[in-house]
Amino acid sequence: MKARRLRLLVVGLALTFPAFGPAVAGTGVSCAAVGGAPHAALVIDNGSRTSTYCVALDDSSVSGLHLIQLAGRQYGLQYGLGFGGQAVCQLDGTGPSGGDCFADYPDYWGYWHGDGDGNWSWAGSGAASASIGEGDMEGWVWGPGDSGTTHASPPALAFGDVCEPEPEPSPSPAPSPSPSLDPAPAGGGTTGSGSGGSDASPGADANASGAASPAHASASARANAHATRTPSAEPTPSLAQTIVRASPVGALAAGASPGSGGPPAGALLALIAVAALGAAGWLTMRRRRALASR
Amino acid sequence: MHRDSGLHPGAWITWATCAGLVTFTTTNPFYLALIVAVSFFVYAAQRIPGPTARSFRLFAIAGLVTVAVRTSLVFLGTVDAGNVAFAALEGARLATLLIIFGTFNAVTDPFGVVRLAPRRFHEPALAAALALSIAPRTVAMVGRVREAQTLRGIPTSWRTLPALAVPVLETGMEEALTLAESMDARGHGRGRRSRYRPSRWTPAAVAVSASAFASAAVSLAAAWQQGRDLHPATSPLTWPQVRPAMLAVIGILALPGVVRSPREDP
Repeated sequence: MKARRLRLLVVGLALTFPAFGPAVAGTGVSCAAVGGAPHAALVIDNGSRTSTYCVALDDSSVSGLHLIQLAGRQYGLQYGLGFGGQAVCQLDGTGPSGGDCFADYPDYWGYWHGDGDGNWSWAGSGAASASIGEGDMEGWVWGPGDSGTTHASPPALAFGDVCEPEPEPSPSPAPSPSPSLDPAPAGGGTTGSGSGGSDASPGADANASGAASPAHASASARANAHATRTPSAEPTPSLAQTIVRASPVGALAAGASPGSGGPPAGALLALIAVAALGAAGWLTMRRRRALASR
Repeated sequence: MHRDSGLHPGAWITWATCAGLVTFTTTNPFYLALIVAVSFFVYAAQRIPGPTARSFRLFAIAGLVTVAVRTSLVFLGTVDAGNVAFAALEGARLATLLIIFGTFNAVTDPFGVVRLAPRRFHEPALAAALALSIAPRTVAMVGRVREAQTLRGIPTSWRTLPALAVPVLETGMEEALTLAESMDARGHGRGRRSRYRPSRWTPAAVAVSASAFASAAVSLAAAWQQGRDLHPATSPLTWPQVRPAMLAVIGILALPGVVRSPREDP
């Protein structure tokens, strides 16, 4: 009887662990930017290209992390937060995919606040405590450097360069962004199979070439998008960098949020092993008890 | 008093330390679940019959409480699925460590461990042995006090908890002192200790130690190289990746459950 309760305990423990997985599947129910809502500009420089996002806020003031989540919903921006969701690990396919955001140190995501006119100031506190409202600019730059003087800063973009009134973007359905989010089961060493950058770029390419702004060069973003773990050298500001303007993804693509994929094949193997060991332990215990009582 | 322990206590120390190190490197729920299963298997095969065998269950319950407490701490801050999952996984890692410790307590005699200490470290080793054995001794004590209370017609409920706690704590203190005195009097660590039936480093004990060591080394190497599967990202929440090789590395820790226990010899 005692052993039976114990076995239930172990099985229960084993079963509760993976139950947290699918809990998030239904969160991507957001629509793209709607006119009238407050907007903030998000500029993300992954070392090889810069993507800009004009993010519609769902509140008058949101945190810097929530802005990234909103960009994920509205534009399919691939991101990963770490340290318990308090820090930015991965943006636009670049950065560590696990929970340790400094896994690729000295390269990490530097955090900047913009004044809206092209000037950037190094953020003194974390994105979780920043408060972003209408007309604010946020910049994230991948690279080394521990302060505003040594870390590369985002390109000099004004708020209007990111969030200008523009011709209604054709709702280009971004082609299947989510399936690539699951790294290969046996891979282990690759980040998000390197395809994260291509989520935003196909739509972004089309949109940027259609937009009339001079700031939006639509050069080979797709080619550069594969910059996953290349040790990015200090981005030279003199070089004309690719700036890609992200376009909102359709509701269909936004609905397929990361995490909606099923459990990986290895998980089944793990559960079989757990069950086998549990059963073996249970049998051993019964045999020993029978031996002892004889 | 002498228990016929199976493997050499040193092998068990190595096993528990290495299993703890493996646990320490990961928050992947599948890996943690496998470590728990391995611990249970080892416990089932190698536990010493007697009151200390209960310590596995005690620590398993303590582990569940740990997960619950660690997860509920999230509700003091921002609550979303990612945060809750992160906290739960951290708690699960702590719980797994506790379960390993419970297994260690159930399969070996803490006073066998103190005999291993070099003479000059006798005092710290004695203190460590007392600390290690406090859980199993308390469990045994609770059982005895409850038995006595039942004989006197006192029911076991929340209201009689103080009546249970006071004698348990008091006796525990007394017993620890008596134990320390008696061990001192018998010359533990004074160079006069007896060598009656000393535990031997059998081939099984060596194999257990070496395999546990290998398992921990591989895990630490994987953690050093930032194995992406060891710490699954929780925001956005995704299914953790599982590497079959890592499952095998954890599975190595089940070896002490497979080796023939000397206790079963006639």
